[in-house]
Amino acid sequence: MIPTTGVAIRSEGRRRLPVGLRLTWRDVPLLMPYLYVLALGTAVFVLEPRLIDGPGAVDARFSLIVPLALVAFGQTLVIVTRGVDLSVGGLISMASALLATHLNESGPLLVLEALAVLAAGVVVGVLNGLLISRTRIQPFIVTLATWSIWGGVAYAILPIEGGKVSPGLISALTGPLLGIPKSVLAVALLFLVWIWLRPSRFVADLIAIGSDEDRARLLGVRIGLRKIEAYALCALLASLAALWVTAQTQAGAPSGGDQFILNSIAAVVLGGTSIFGGKGSAASSIAGAVAFLMIPDLVFTLNLTSFWSVFFQGFILIVAVTFNSLVQLRTRTA
Amino acid sequence: MLALWIGLRRNSPIALAWGVAALLFLIGTIQASGFASYAHTRTVLITASFIGFVGVGQTLCMLTGGIDLSIPANLAGAAVLTAFLAEGHSSRLWWIVPLIVGFGIVVGLANGIGVAYAGVPPIIMTLGMNSVIQGLLLIYTHGGFASAPPKSLVDLVNGNTASLSTDLLIWIAVAGFATVALTWSVFGRKLYAVGTNPLAAFLAGVNVKRVLVVPYVVSGAGAALTGLLVLGFLGQAFVNMGDEYLFSSAIAVAVGGTSILGGRGHYVGTVAGAIILTLIAANLNLLSLGTSAVQISYGLILLGAVFISTLRVNRR
Repeated sequence: MIPTTGVAIRSEGRRRLPVGLRLTWRDVPLLMPYLYVLALGTAVFVLEPRLIDGPGAVDARFSLIVPLALVAFGQTLVIVTRGVDLSVGGLISMASALLATHLNESGPLLVLEALAVLAAGVVVGVLNGLLISRTRIQPFIVTLATWSIWGGVAYAILPIEGGKVSPGLISALTGPLLGIPKSVLAVALLFLVWIWLRPSRFVADLIAIGSDEDRARLLGVRIGLRKIEAYALCALLASLAALWVTAQTQAGAPSGGDQFILNSIAAVVLGGTSIFGGKGSAASSIAGAVAFLMIPDLVFTLNLTSFWSVFFQGFILIVAVTFNSLVQLRTRTA
Repeated sequence: MLALWIGLRRNSPIALAWGVAALLFLIGTIQASGFASYAHTRTVLITASFIGFVGVGQTLCMLTGGIDLSIPANLAGAAVLTAFLAEGHSSRLWWIVPLIVGFGIVVGLANGIGVAYAGVPPIIMTLGMNSVIQGLLLIYTHGGFASAPPKSLVDLVNGNTASLSTDLLIWIAVAGFATVALTWSVFGRKLYAVGTNPLAAFLAGVNVKRVLVVPYVVSGAGAALTGLLVLGFLGQAFVNMGDEYLFSSAIAVAVGGTSILGGRGHYVGTVAGAIILTLIAANLNLLSLGTSAVQISYGLILLGAVFISTLRVNRR
């Protein structure tokens, strides 16, 4: 217990190397996802090159990566504090239902409406954070309940898949910008956001909370506020993911968000973020998301039915989380 | 009897849950004249019994501070596989049922070992397992849909024994067994001890890890058996048929007064919780409110129930 805390606190006072260069052996799990991406990418490339460099393959791949990367980014912030957010499933469904039914054609009103959906997401996240920090109910119970609530609201807004998505939203989020697919730019932007956020007081506080909440409190970390911020940011990123998914599929789906629960947790775990809090990197989670989304490709190249993806995605989560957990147990007792 | 009395007295929310169930029944009766009829009450109780059956394992899991989110796939898997293998022949059930329960136990063992020995958080372990089972089911059955269940299963769920619903008699037996196991058995004591304080239980000589595995095995086997009954009740099986039990099992346990911090609660409360959830759905149905209203109210009830239980903990 004590060594992990020591590291978290000491890293505050340590000489600030540029982000990305501050590495110890403890950070090895956070580098693993890049290796997974490389290995899986090579395997897919050897078996079926057009999945990697065929026409439109890059845009298609990154279009799928963007929403999961967004949710995994937020999930990382929450998991670092020893929490978890299951409500992203209900929230994405609700936001997507709203977008497919209440959106104007185009123009400034469209921007306002999209902002309103994002604001609703933040409110939802603040609610999660308030319930978790004020009532001491465990995060998984609070977010299980809010998952059910927002999932129910999604069904009330849009009972069946469909609706009508504004062409303005679709054209704003699809296609290229300056010759580069917007999906690639979005993922790159997320990496930059993490590089900007990583050295901040905010992330240091989240890590301190996840390492040892009582010590963090003694150190003067405003735990309640930080947790609310983490859950709010997670919900905001999930709403952005909903915006993206709705524009890409050009339809709303009242239970379309549910898959993001398992997938985002899997991306975070593959990314090497500790499920016991106190250590993590959103950039690694994004790489984890990229690797995770290559599983269906591998299943396809091996000529298996797509049902195998469902199996492998769960299986890989279990293997990764068990490994992650065993390593933690080992280092904790050592 | 004294042990049960003390056990229930310590858990005053259980009495509250039964009170709420009675109140909901009264509200339904006022709303519609047929609500309290024998036929409708029977249907409500049979619907509640499925939550009650999966609730046995979920109660044990939550008593140790865990949760089992693999119930949906486990239940659906058992139902689809049974319909798939039986092809309508009741005569094949003699080998199918043990096989299905065996699968449930294996899944539960995997969950339990992951949680107890590898230290994986229960939510993540069981969420991943849910996907694994669902995947295997889809691969094996090419889409996971099967109709025409064996007739004996249909008769079992809908039929009567000594002019009482067979399904409800089974539930009463299960509830009785769970009550005895929790209140009077050595295992029950160990379970509460581990749920209250694992370290103290360990120091008292309890094999904490072994005790932690059991709830997931019970839950796996229970979900599989429930799948057979739901198959008989619905008359068909599909891959998403278990999804509603993800929320309802956890919520029934929490509403029944079991503290999700572990160590406090009883199956007697879960029975009340299962009846409450079904009565809420039935009441909303009278107001012609469907799935979405049910889901929203379930979420709010979960928050409310858990909030009340944390208030009690803080006061102590």
